[in-house]
Amino acid sequence: MMLKRLLPHKTQMLVLLRPGFLVGLAILLGSLALAIFPAAFAPFEPNAFNYSALKQPPSFEHWFGTDNLGRDTLSRVIWAYSVNMQMAFVATIFALVIGVTVGALVGYYGGIADAIFGRCVDAIITFPFLVLVIAVVAVLGPGLTNMYIAITLVGWVYYARLMRAEIMGQMANDYAAAGKVMGYSDRRIIFRHLLPNAITPVIVYWMTDMALAILLGSSLGYLGLGAQPPQAEWGVLIAEGRNFITTAWWLSLMPGIAIVLTGLGFSLVGDGLADLMRPRG
Amino acid sequence: MKKILMATVAVAAMMSAFPASALERGGSLTFARYDDSTLIDPIYADRNPDIWMVTNLYDTLLRTEADGKTVTSGLASSYAVAEDGLSVSLTLRDGIKFSDGTPIEGKDVVFSLQRAANPDLSPWAGLLASVDSVSAEGNTINIALKNSDPTIVLMLATFNTAIVSADAFAAAEGETDQDKSSSLSIEGFVGSGPFVMKSHQRGSMMQFAANPHYWREGEDGKALPYIDGINFLVIPDDATRILKLQAGEVDAAEFIPFARVSEMQADPKINMELFPSTRIIYSPINTRPERADGSANPLANVKLRQALNFATNKDALVQLVLHGAGKPVTSGLMASTTQLATDNGPLYQYDLDKAKALIAEAGVADGTEITLTTLAGSADDGIILAALQQMWSDIGIKLNVAQVDGPTRGAKNRSGDFDIHTYGWVNDVNDPAQVAGWLGYNPTAKAVGTGWDNAEFNSLYEASNTEMDPAKRAEQYARMQEIYAEAAPLLFMYETPFAVALSQDVKGYVQTPLGNNEFATAWIDR
Amino acid sequence: MSSISYFISRLLQIIPTFLIVMVIIFMLVRALPGDPAIAMADAKATAEQLEQIRQRLGLNEPIWVQFGLFVKNTLTGNLGDSILLKAPVTEVIFERLPASGFLALYSVLFSLLIAGPLAFVAALNRNGWIDITIRSAFQIGLSTPVFYIGLILLTFLAAKMRWFPVGGYGATFWEHMHHLLLPALTVALYTSAIIMRNLRSSVIEVVDAEYVQFARAKGLPEHIILGRHVLRNALISTVTLLGLSIGNLMSGTLVTETVFAVPGVGRLMLDAIFARDYPLIQGLTLTFAVLVSIIFLLTDMIQAMLDPRLRVS
Repeated sequence: MMLKRLLPHKTQMLVLLRPGFLVGLAILLGSLALAIFPAAFAPFEPNAFNYSALKQPPSFEHWFGTDNLGRDTLSRVIWAYSVNMQMAFVATIFALVIGVTVGALVGYYGGIADAIFGRCVDAIITFPFLVLVIAVVAVLGPGLTNMYIAITLVGWVYYARLMRAEIMGQMANDYAAAGKVMGYSDRRIIFRHLLPNAITPVIVYWMTDMALAILLGSSLGYLGLGAQPPQAEWGVLIAEGRNFITTAWWLSLMPGIAIVLTGLGFSLVGDGLADLMRPRG
Repeated sequence: MKKILMATVAVAAMMSAFPASALERGGSLTFARYDDSTLIDPIYADRNPDIWMVTNLYDTLLRTEADGKTVTSGLASSYAVAEDGLSVSLTLRDGIKFSDGTPIEGKDVVFSLQRAANPDLSPWAGLLASVDSVSAEGNTINIALKNSDPTIVLMLATFNTAIVSADAFAAAEGETDQDKSSSLSIEGFVGSGPFVMKSHQRGSMMQFAANPHYWREGEDGKALPYIDGINFLVIPDDATRILKLQAGEVDAAEFIPFARVSEMQADPKINMELFPSTRIIYSPINTRPERADGSANPLANVKLRQALNFATNKDALVQLVLHGAGKPVTSGLMASTTQLATDNGPLYQYDLDKAKALIAEAGVADGTEITLTTLAGSADDGIILAALQQMWSDIGIKLNVAQVDGPTRGAKNRSGDFDIHTYGWVNDVNDPAQVAGWLGYNPTAKAVGTGWDNAEFNSLYEASNTEMDPAKRAEQYARMQEIYAEAAPLLFMYETPFAVALSQDVKGYVQTPLGNNEFATAWIDR
Repeated sequence: MSSISYFISRLLQIIPTFLIVMVIIFMLVRALPGDPAIAMADAKATAEQLEQIRQRLGLNEPIWVQFGLFVKNTLTGNLGDSILLKAPVTEVIFERLPASGFLALYSVLFSLLIAGPLAFVAALNRNGWIDITIRSAFQIGLSTPVFYIGLILLTFLAAKMRWFPVGGYGATFWEHMHHLLLPALTVALYTSAIIMRNLRSSVIEVVDAEYVQFARAKGLPEHIILGRHVLRNALISTVTLLGLSIGNLMSGTLVTETVFAVPGVGRLMLDAIFARDYPLIQGLTLTFAVLVSIIFLLTDMIQAMLDPRLRVS
């Protein structure tokens, strides 16, 4: 019975063949390729000025046009993939692991640990999120690594809170009690029985969170607290282009499309995974 | 056909008889600002959005002409500096009144000037450090000085010495002088300038109304101002401010990004003004022998600093950042619009060969790393960085970046924890002493944090502060500028105008080189 | 445990939370590089003038004295004077709070109106083209930076079409509704995407659950199943999520408020940080903590009402 819970049901594996999931997967794999080998895809050097081609509209030579310094927008959007995909993953993975572990333990054991912990979580959540991140980045100094630290410091509580609630919900089910009666260790009950059943909303949230991390990183880039110029990053590219929204629309639109596409990829794959992992009665 | 022709001729005739610029009175102006004022008081104004509004609400004893250099009469109809330079006497104009109708008298001037010179109250007291005492006898004001002060007359035309009502302050609620000023700004406002504060919703809107008792006359022989009032809207976002103007919801928008100036110029409904300013953009270079972390500082070598200056193509920077709306600095110490600025052509005209020669002389290794600290979120700084990275790679310098926010940059400047960082400056007074003290005189602020300390410069500066002979003072300033440019404690960059976009029917609005928003002579062509 | 004692125990839990918030914010603002004196008079003041300002602001006192004063004043409801705005912090916050509150509620309303129906449609057409289209559309809202969406809405709907004013807040209730419609929509595009995803997911989960299958097998009409089981369970997770994201929502309006020139607390917070206005940052954070605590309390209560299991534990 337990084994069946861990391995997806045969019919569930069919989820992976649905168009939504496949499209999502294709987008993510494509993004990953661009992120890992930007030099192979970008037609130009991303930071090279070209004074003779300032703010040129999309053309055969420059597919996405050029910016106010004559840099090739397509190349900059492509190089930004490595920064932004890194953001999506690094900024969330530590938060996920820490949050899930802490949330599961606290949800399972309850008591004093839960009470102390609840207050800390409340304290962090009652803090204005963006403000905390801005303050932490200001203290540590700007740059991607410090931005990841700041986002993780705050981000893990969302996973923890979600996990704790799920675990508590699962514990009301019969099988958790059964596990105890059967004399399983706490570790086994938590990580083999409760966690797999409780993780679905967390994974769904993770996929959303990765898209959100790109967005947050972009906002911070816009405020100058994320990626450092002249490194290309979608948020910074959009911010740079927004003064030219009517005169050189391609500057903000192209990176905008990249963000939306990548976000869509995460979301489609996330939903597919959710369907796949959803425990069957 | 003939009739139509006649009519056209008649209209043309009328138009020449009454030129399109015929002055009109009335109406109110809506002005979009980048930031709100907090407390507009001559002595508590410490941020530009406050400082630049003061003279609309409070008038000064003397005024400067539009060129910002010639001093003329204000609330005082005449002034005289004693032979020995140790006192100034002024005569108050007859019949001048505060906005509540009470007369402006000697006691108000004494109160205002004492307040302005009081270091416990005013952050600007240093500008009046030479003032010993102020007294009034009838309409005559006497200012006794501790030492001769070539700037004192200009100081009396500067916002911090503007006249407030002694009675209003005595009657105002509040314990401290600042409390009283705050409560006056909300209710029962009394001022001496062309406008009065009507209402203020912090962070969103501020309204001025015309002061019916203002003394200065307009071109039509009647008292200023021409307009009935001004509504200020606070729109911090550049793009939104411009949209607001394009939608016709406001009559003017300030601080137009230079990247959009040409777009505004092309719009027939918009009059894009580029007012000459004393604003300079420069980058202090740390000249200390060691960096804050204890490592050797290559920038302590003047040859490297000169090389960086030669390797920087300022014309290209002006094109890239300002889209041509500005020019490279010609005096290292001040904007060309400042009094006593020397002009020997652009400083350190781009010359890659000279730069390479200097680098070789300095013995700086290829690939030496330097960090530029920039202001986070500033589009201009982003472009400057990208450009300098390219330009300096030609002389083997690898430029890194550290983005920080304003106060962090300030703290780094104060503690000398930087290599090079971007900075800007606008004069608050028309005299060069303020900017020269800030940029070059070590005791003021370590020569804008660079640590540069030159004995000759310092003694020239001290001497110039009491030198009453204009010609000698000009000589001293010429020499100071020469020394400063040679030593290159800065990366000399460019000066920029103030970019304000106005609807075509707004006339007569001026932003002075100091940044002051002058609405007294503005009018609306309806 | 009865509802009342549950309520009281939750209320008591706010006290330690609050203390933690006070300690964190107090330390954090002082850890920021630079100080109010530098921020205030950076490019003008001499070293002595900076010292004078620090003295006047009490920044030279030992840190524990400053903290003691902060706690004492806070307990008496005095949040000090804003350094930046030269006015009492409480006064400033109360001036600015209504605009932000209005915007937050307005956008929650929008989000629910948009996300609710579409989530059900998407869930019931799971993985069909309708579902994918709806989700892709929401993804645009979720992935586009607010300053960009905001600017596009302003450019086309406000400046070009003149349907809305270009930013601002207005003076009366209806003016607020008119002025804040675009900013609320901007925020809602983002929040509704999160709510939609969650709601869709929980609807699917409930529809698949045994008890719903059982109810269906019993022959209960579909609308009763949807109403009784699906809706109630979907609500539980939506309420949790709304509660969780309210913090995000209120600080997320920071950029929106700047773009739309809405005089709210989000923008004030940004100004306060850049001015190192310690009293104002502290005051805003505490106000924020109170508001969010109240909202959490409410979500907990609603959850307990909807899901009796939680009340027992």
